[in-house]
Amino acid sequence: MFYAGEMADQLKSPPPEWMVMSRRYTTQSVDTSALEPDNANGWYDATTQTLHMVVPTQSPQEVAQEMPVMMAKGHRTVKTLILHPCYTVGYGSKDHYNFPYYGAVAAMYGEGTPVRLANDRFEQFQSSLKRHAFDMNYDIAVNRDTGMLQSFHAAMTADGGGRSNFTPSVVMVGATAAQSIYYFPKSDLSAVGLASRALDAGSARGYGTLQSMAATEMMMDEMAAELKLDPIAFRLRNVLKSGMKNTQGAIPAGAIRADEVLEKAAVHPMWTERQKRKSEYESQYPGKRYGVGFGCVQKDFGTGAETSFARVELSENGQISLWHSGAEMGTGMSTSQSVLCAEWLGKPADEAHFSVTDWSVLPVETSGDPYIMSQEEQDKLQTNPRWSPSYCSPSSASNSAYYFSHSTREAARLIFEHGLWPAALAIWQTGIGGGQAAPYIVRKEDARWVDGGLTANGMQILSLEILAKKAYAMGGLTGAAVHVFNRWQWAEADFTLGNSRQRIPVDGLSVRSGAGEFKTLARDSVFYPPTQRNNASVTYYSAVGTLAEVAVDIATGKVELLNHHSIMECGNLIVPELVSGQLQGGLAMGIGHALHEYLPLYEDGPGDGTWNFNRYHLPRASDVAVWKQTSDILPALSETDPPKGMAEVVMIPVVAALVNAIAHATGHRFRDLPVRAENIREVLQ
Amino acid sequence: MKKRILLGLIVLVILIVAVLWWRENRRLDSPVQKVTADAQQIERGRYLVQASDCAACHTASGGAPLAGGYALETPFGKIFGSNLTPAADDGIGRWTADNFYMALTQGVAPGGRHLYPAMPYTSYKGVTRQDSDDMYAYLMTRPAVNQPVPDNEMPFPFNQRMAMIGWNLLFRTADPMPASSQGNSADWQRGKYLTDVLGHCGECHTPRGRLGQMESSDNLQGGTLGRITAPDITPNALAQRGWTPADLSRFLGTGIAAQGSAFDEMHKVVNLSTRFLTPEDNRALVTYLMGDQPPTAVPVKMGEGNDAGRITYLDQCSGCHAADGAGKPHVAVAMQNNATLRQPDGRNLIISVLDGLPAQEFPDGESMQSMPGFAERLNDQQIAELVNYLRVTFAGLPADITPEKVKALRKH
Amino acid sequence: MSIKTQPLSLTINNQHYGPLEVPEGLMMIDFLHEYVALTGCRLGCGQGICHACVAIVDHDSGTSEEVRTCITGAHFFNGKKVRTVEGLAKTDDNGEVQLSPVQQAFLEHYSFQCGYCTPGFVNAATLFVERLAKHPIPLVDLEGAIEKALENHICRCTGYVRYYQAVRDVVLKTPGLIKEPV
Repeated sequence: MFYAGEMADQLKSPPPEWMVMSRRYTTQSVDTSALEPDNANGWYDATTQTLHMVVPTQSPQEVAQEMPVMMAKGHRTVKTLILHPCYTVGYGSKDHYNFPYYGAVAAMYGEGTPVRLANDRFEQFQSSLKRHAFDMNYDIAVNRDTGMLQSFHAAMTADGGGRSNFTPSVVMVGATAAQSIYYFPKSDLSAVGLASRALDAGSARGYGTLQSMAATEMMMDEMAAELKLDPIAFRLRNVLKSGMKNTQGAIPAGAIRADEVLEKAAVHPMWTERQKRKSEYESQYPGKRYGVGFGCVQKDFGTGAETSFARVELSENGQISLWHSGAEMGTGMSTSQSVLCAEWLGKPADEAHFSVTDWSVLPVETSGDPYIMSQEEQDKLQTNPRWSPSYCSPSSASNSAYYFSHSTREAARLIFEHGLWPAALAIWQTGIGGGQAAPYIVRKEDARWVDGGLTANGMQILSLEILAKKAYAMGGLTGAAVHVFNRWQWAEADFTLGNSRQRIPVDGLSVRSGAGEFKTLARDSVFYPPTQRNNASVTYYSAVGTLAEVAVDIATGKVELLNHHSIMECGNLIVPELVSGQLQGGLAMGIGHALHEYLPLYEDGPGDGTWNFNRYHLPRASDVAVWKQTSDILPALSETDPPKGMAEVVMIPVVAALVNAIAHATGHRFRDLPVRAENIREVLQ
Repeated sequence: MKKRILLGLIVLVILIVAVLWWRENRRLDSPVQKVTADAQQIERGRYLVQASDCAACHTASGGAPLAGGYALETPFGKIFGSNLTPAADDGIGRWTADNFYMALTQGVAPGGRHLYPAMPYTSYKGVTRQDSDDMYAYLMTRPAVNQPVPDNEMPFPFNQRMAMIGWNLLFRTADPMPASSQGNSADWQRGKYLTDVLGHCGECHTPRGRLGQMESSDNLQGGTLGRITAPDITPNALAQRGWTPADLSRFLGTGIAAQGSAFDEMHKVVNLSTRFLTPEDNRALVTYLMGDQPPTAVPVKMGEGNDAGRITYLDQCSGCHAADGAGKPHVAVAMQNNATLRQPDGRNLIISVLDGLPAQEFPDGESMQSMPGFAERLNDQQIAELVNYLRVTFAGLPADITPEKVKALRKH
Repeated sequence: MSIKTQPLSLTINNQHYGPLEVPEGLMMIDFLHEYVALTGCRLGCGQGICHACVAIVDHDSGTSEEVRTCITGAHFFNGKKVRTVEGLAKTDDNGEVQLSPVQQAFLEHYSFQCGYCTPGFVNAATLFVERLAKHPIPLVDLEGAIEKALENHICRCTGYVRYYQAVRDVVLKTPGLIKEPV
């Protein structure tokens, strides 16, 4: 509090070379508008006292865990819960949400008949989890002469509605994101979640960072204008670089490449020609004002307690099967995780199952809160070889590309190292004098999957079928189930496999040899990231910059989005089309957030059950420059860059880019979202 | 001798026509006016321009505000609204306040050029000089847009402006429009000015004669300039269709009331003009329309319409308008108490069913989705049955719509 | 209270159904879901806005149209020929499924994400391609025509780009849909 006081004083009485800007930004309540409304299907079989539920959910393990607890309190006995979680869509609104439980209660009254409980769209507006509306007061100091940012004070509140869902977490993440892509030598950021009579707010794509970072990006433009600096040049001066600390004092993972994104934006014709195009456009269309705006952010992926289970099996005839705890919600993780098996096993999985809740193959216990437990508590709890700080993460926080991939890849890798590789060596070493392997040095690091199978250092290519058969014959590893945990760093554990001890970045492991059964291996020791790491709040980032080109109709205030261009860096792409699809979809959502999606919070809002898509305007193809939009994805630094989560970051910079473009077009800076035609009309009068 | 006189007459006529033609088509080259005005006058002018709904005809879609180019379809051809910005040659940059007053209230532009009554000087004739000067001050302090307006597309002889001299002789009068209701309160007087003059409501809502002149004696008793009829808005007719002063006030302010939503041209009127009226002016307008002693709204006599129409209603309409016709608040208007259903001739209802309605934005964040048109899906018989079902069930009107009536209203 | 029913007979995906006693005023989407277990038409808004619910009606006159099943009564379809997304792919004699060109294009272009709106887009795109076969258009009009054909369909996941590109791809790859320049 001492430093906070010092900083506050300094902002109030700044040194002469400082310019201090204070601005207030607000964002609206938003409905995620997943086209599939909340629903649940259930059947209570009284004869066996079994409850069958078929539910869409982003958090299947949460439902599997909590529903029995709830049903145990009812006056009808439920001995068994058979849960079928389905693939779905939610953007956060089906994560830890209430509908499965309403469905379970409804099913209990079905008198033997299956019951389907489903929202229509009016009810969906009325009850589904909303996005938090943020109210942000930013004070930023910059040195007038150097253009370097000096100090950042932010006080934010977020409206969490009536019941707390993810509010504490959302406001925390929102605060950590306020810095956007910049280095601030001093920062004092606070965010408070408030209860209100508004509809419940929960996890929504962007998770607080959409609100806080877009505001920062709007303010950056305004500061640049005051300092008479080009907005991108101003950003470049202050961009965070690899190895520098974020506002929580942690060093982000790997290279920070926001500067490359900025540099590409700076030379894009949409930016360099904006003044010329403005005069040309406006003389051709006297009824319009033309503008170009830019925004650039980096957003974290993951939550600081990312966990998942993955089980990979190789059959004797070379079929690969994958079971994963992650839930498919339209991101295409069912494709990307299947594809990842090719990394270590030569081809994608032949069969894959998701939202798996039955992990009896690898028992894991959990207790305590991974975010607030003390180091002592963690040290004590981890002595239980089955304990992990967290059981299983829902699909959220852009967590499939990096985090879910980790468990899939580690499981596949174990099969390679302890099943396929020994099998390959055995085959290559067959014959007199050590076979074809003897004359060459054959090393695991040189193994490569090529057309037809596995080779290494010039060895004969062996197909997966042959290797699998051999691995079975040798009793090598043919199946692995892993549990992983990440607190901004992966947990690691020592396991004895075969006759060697190995440190693997997993904290739970079961293996199967040959045609045997899965056996859980007790970890010899485990290394969890220190609890202090929670203070890092975020360390993994992907960066996106977006340029937006608009024409504002002065008579009606309508904004026409003429074109937009985005530059992204997100490591290696598992499936490029899936990445570009997320970018395109995220941009659309950001465009809706900035220009179209107006939703009152309280009595005028959707709580009265009369809201539908006629009043809540979702962006259409004509709103997103569907044919003209372009994007540029930076190549990874090398083929060993991990794939990074990016499905949220893609929707953020466009929001600021649009508001900044409207400022360039009309001269007016909006600070409250959404910016609708009527708001623009008012200021143009 | 006769031949000479005849020749002389012909030459005279040619001379007169030539002079008139020159007057109607000459370029104005009087000096460009530089106008300054205080903030209050400009604000008054802005309000008056809104109340007079100039934007409806003088702002083109995608065009600069009041810079003209809007195409008005009339029975006499296509007329483009002129540029009202202070552009020197493309707009009114050279006009004085006197010029403006003359054009607005008499239909004669500087230099003697006659305006078509598509520019409703036939209603604006009552604009006070002060109000005209305020509007002038507002318009002349807007940014000039140097963009010419397209030429009108009118067949001969309508494209000869000099014909307006004759038309004005026949039909132009300085007399105010006869009141459509009874009253003498301050609100009523103000309301008459807002309705008959600034709002020029009669231009749509008053029947017209063969040469396009308003039949002023039937002021506001309904007119059909375009496809949709602007209904009778005299007090008894309004009451007959269930309007109360409160609902009418709401309708003019927001475009939506219990009696339905504004559509076609009236939606534009609400959107561009009446929504901006002050509460006092809104009240005054309503007081004039319904009179100082408004008649009581006539409650609907609900009935049971024909079965074929009922089934068509269930299959085609109830998805949005609800099986019992209650509509869905903020989404689809109710059939119950709907004023269009209660229009005796059924024309607007039939056209709505045939053509559908586009999606429309309303003030205060209201937004209506489009209504589909059923011209292709339903035949004349089915539409007649449906409309009769609606009239009997929800409007207390007889089932007298015939398939022939429907056929006649189909777009060709 | 008893619900009044009427008999309903129709053909869906070349299969005859009925006569079935169906309540008056039951919307077609409920009939499809509850009576004949065809869940491809999706309830997105229930108000005819999002078009996730559309089915295709093939009229005897030779024209076809997409009809919003969430706001159209089941009895409107009496005696009519209906296609839903479930009927667009073909299964050959060996049991191999052959996707329609539109379906195949949507797969290859990764056009959908959660898939909820996809049947609607498939139906709209299918009709579009069929219309072009009867009335080819110049290449320069293609993008505008695609916009017109699909503009009413809402998607929340994809941002529309890959849907539109897939449809353009199908049109360009199918002979006879684009008018050759004179």
